[in-house]
Amino acid sequence: MIGRHPMENRWSRRQFLGRAAGGAVAMPSLAAILAACSKPGENAGGSGSGSASTEIPIATLENPVELPVTMDTIAADTPIESGPLVLYNWADYIHKKVVAEFEEEYGVDVEITTYNNMEEGIQKVANGQVTPDVFVPTVGYLRRLVQKDLLMPLQQELIPNMLASVWPSYSDPGPYYDLGWNYSVPYTIYTWGVAYRRDRVSDEDLAAQGWEALWNPEYAGAISLYDSYGDTIAVAILRNGSLDVNTGDPALIDAAKVAILETINDHEARLTINGVYAKLPAGDFTVAEAWSGDIVGAQWYLPRGTGTDVLGYWRPEPGQTMIGNDTLVVPAEAQRPRLAHEFINFMLDEQHGTDNFVNWNGYQPPFVSIQPDSLIDQGVVPENLSDAVVTEEMFADDLTPIELSPEVEAMWLDAWTEIKAGA
Amino acid sequence: MPEIETSATHDERPRRRLWRRRASVDEPGGASGAWYPRWYWPSFVAPGSLWLALLFLLPFYVVFSVAFGTVDFENFGAPVPYYAPWWWSFDTFNETLSKFYEGTAIYRPPLFRTFAYVFSATVICLVVGYTVAYFAARSATKYKGLILILLISPLWISYLMRIYAWQGLLDTDGPINLLLRPLGFGETNWLEGMHVTVILGLVYGYIPFMILPIYASLDRIQESLLEAGRDLGASGRQTFWRVTLPLSRPAILAGIVIVTLPMFGDYYTNDLLGSTKTSMFGNLISTQREQQGGSTRMASLVLILAVIVLVPMLYYLRETKRAAEQA
Amino acid sequence: MSTAIEHAPATPARGYFRNPWRKPRILQGVTIGYLLWSLLPVVIAVIFSFNGGRSRISWQGFSLRWWTQDPTDSLLRDEAMRSAMAQTYKLAIITVLVAVPLGTLFAIGIDRWHGRPARSANFTMLLSFVVPEIILGVSLYILFTNLLQGLVPLGTPAQAIGLISFQLSYPVIIVRARLLSIGPEYEEAAMDLGATPSQAIRRILLPLIAPAILASVALVFADVVDDFVTVAALSAEASSETLAQKIYSASRASPTPEVNAAATMMLITTLLVVAGGLLFYRRFSRGQSDIATTDFMQL
Repeated sequence: MIGRHPMENRWSRRQFLGRAAGGAVAMPSLAAILAACSKPGENAGGSGSGSASTEIPIATLENPVELPVTMDTIAADTPIESGPLVLYNWADYIHKKVVAEFEEEYGVDVEITTYNNMEEGIQKVANGQVTPDVFVPTVGYLRRLVQKDLLMPLQQELIPNMLASVWPSYSDPGPYYDLGWNYSVPYTIYTWGVAYRRDRVSDEDLAAQGWEALWNPEYAGAISLYDSYGDTIAVAILRNGSLDVNTGDPALIDAAKVAILETINDHEARLTINGVYAKLPAGDFTVAEAWSGDIVGAQWYLPRGTGTDVLGYWRPEPGQTMIGNDTLVVPAEAQRPRLAHEFINFMLDEQHGTDNFVNWNGYQPPFVSIQPDSLIDQGVVPENLSDAVVTEEMFADDLTPIELSPEVEAMWLDAWTEIKAGA
Repeated sequence: MPEIETSATHDERPRRRLWRRRASVDEPGGASGAWYPRWYWPSFVAPGSLWLALLFLLPFYVVFSVAFGTVDFENFGAPVPYYAPWWWSFDTFNETLSKFYEGTAIYRPPLFRTFAYVFSATVICLVVGYTVAYFAARSATKYKGLILILLISPLWISYLMRIYAWQGLLDTDGPINLLLRPLGFGETNWLEGMHVTVILGLVYGYIPFMILPIYASLDRIQESLLEAGRDLGASGRQTFWRVTLPLSRPAILAGIVIVTLPMFGDYYTNDLLGSTKTSMFGNLISTQREQQGGSTRMASLVLILAVIVLVPMLYYLRETKRAAEQA
Repeated sequence: MSTAIEHAPATPARGYFRNPWRKPRILQGVTIGYLLWSLLPVVIAVIFSFNGGRSRISWQGFSLRWWTQDPTDSLLRDEAMRSAMAQTYKLAIITVLVAVPLGTLFAIGIDRWHGRPARSANFTMLLSFVVPEIILGVSLYILFTNLLQGLVPLGTPAQAIGLISFQLSYPVIIVRARLLSIGPEYEEAAMDLGATPSQAIRRILLPLIAPAILASVALVFADVVDDFVTVAALSAEASSETLAQKIYSASRASPTPEVNAAATMMLITTLLVVAGGLLFYRRFSRGQSDIATTDFMQL
């Protein structure tokens, strides 16, 4: 039992309430302090597990995981709630026009709330600071979201478009991180590569350099890397000649760190978020580490009078780069779960999903109807960006970034901290 | 000076005796001659004090509890604070602290940079700020009002907006480089992590807070004092060094502290105008926010920063106290 | 401006004071240079809100595109931007309504009560005035997401509380400076004539310190509108993001001149509030405009 401060005994009740600003704030906080009698984290079986009684293992390509369903899905005949629908998303990651169409069709408002990085988004969902109806997490967080009972299993009957539009592999057997798509549907798919200005570097030259272009002193001052540790350290590992993009090997991580610091310090590489889709088209950068979706979206940021043929995207041979996807999920605390299902189904509709992709977002949904050739024929994706189109076969060969174990994650973060500190 | 009973014992005293007691008979500068009940003035102070105790001092305790606690990785790296001091574990804190001096000491460059930037920026703020304040207060009689308004007006548009405008101006092919091109500096990458850009950004952001107190104090100096100095045979320069400058010393100190302290915690100026090569202490803190399990390290860094700024803070508080006593 | 200075030597008695460094042109030059330097970005920001293209540095023709015309990205039509401005004002108003009365009471109390608790309260207040914002912002974030989790949600409540904690010291310092120059004599006279303490405060003291209160209102309002660190540390969903946050994320993502339009709009309203404050101020201080400016300068 925590000792009470001697002064407390002398306080009269009135004094106590007076000091406690009406009691409303201090009483529970006092309770919280008293609850700290026992050492936190050691009581009540740890705060780590929700009602999912067993520990869910980390999913890998070799060991795919079916996330356990521990709560009921909503009934398929749940009435559609009135809005607003709260969408919690990255900034600039959905076409406002498509959202407006959803608003019109359902007669509801959509509130788009954004996070600046995944960490912020997850934290706010986890501690209830934001209660969205639809959330867009990266796959590495799904396991823990389910483990903590933070996600609602999907009522698959309400999402017919999953079967109608999306690559069959996403529903049968389902992605390695969510076999049977109990909790998630794919939102976008993308690869990692190098974006470049074709008016400054020729395609052949760039292809010959590959990742090394991001370390080329010729482009000093015009190199961009993502301000995101998972992406940039993994790219540096690839550049250093290893394919172990989820490595726990201190030597590889250290070499990656040294390489990143080298290009920052010697070649004035910048860590950015908008380097590819906004600043490369503006001419600020010549080469940039890129998600394929960013370079497709970049064509809407070109200055007037500049043709899309100045943009180029290089991706390594199959199996030499990473591929990934983002997901749409419904949090357990969603206020309008049925409307959330409608929204997910809406985004998986061939027309809306494609519209979102080709007319603004640049990130491709894994739709059967989207074929690389037809995209290029229709001029939706410029021919010079043909490498940015993702095909289903790529998933068979390419590398996948997975959730890192806490120890490995800590090593990556330490390396990143050092980079960010400008050592 | 007789001791006044602390508030904890107030209510144990009979009310009637306290009523009509001469509240501040012992305080020469106080409300002498006025008759107030004992609790009267304290009741004015209470709400604000309570607010500060609950929402300014309590958070510090929680920062200690988080810094000396652990994190739960399964819970997305959320902190597990230890509220009871006997559970406090200093592992993360020590580890954070050791990064300032041990091995590669990765936190040391930002720390040194912060000191260097804050020092240079403060010196520039002082020199330019004093000059401008002096001109506004002493010389610009006719246009004083206008100059004053112009001096304050940048403060009425968001600081971030102004820094953001600088970002555009300093772009590689922006107007500044266009102007400098004939001089041969046209290809400077101002935003590629140049020390001078960040320092000037800091000066830009904080210099009004240097100018205003100095202006106020210079404006208060009676012309007759300066005339007296002149009558006694001092030259203009001597009058400045012997009369004006000493009289504005408290304002200079206040200005230095007011611009220095927030600079120590600044991170957005560097975010907008610099790069990782110009990371400051504030950037170390803001980076931790974006990392899983960063909250414990963030709390540790906040405590370390608090210790760093404690010295100038206490110095300032002592000076204001002294000034108040003299007033 | 220049003529006034050049003719200065014509009136030797005053010219001497204007001439401590022998070359007033240096002073004048530095001041003009400083003013240009400090105002240039503001002017640029305002002008480019009327740019026809999406660049913030190359002029592409005058248009109201970012104010009213663009269907998704103009100030008038972009709900996110309007909500950011509304949130900024909301926080500014809440903060003024709480911090200024609290601070004024505190200043009066601390001016008249000199006990030891008063000294520690005053010390805490001054501490909150000088502590770097990031320390307070992060501390409150940690407080609200741990000890007080669920009690004070991030977003408007947390932001307002954070801003009030940070701003509380401003009215205290301004009002207190005013009180020091007034002294207790007026109230005492009133009470000698039979007024109760509260009457003396309401009828005598309050009107006397009204200018300082108004100055605090203007200052706190402007400062909250400008705030970034506290507001960002304590924000929750998009609806609790203020304009400063929008500018920050825009500057790191894909900015359009819409941001400039929003900032210009804020500039105009802040100027109106401040100008209104100053007008009132002058009336209350019966034309003693010098007092008005000095009170503003006190910080």
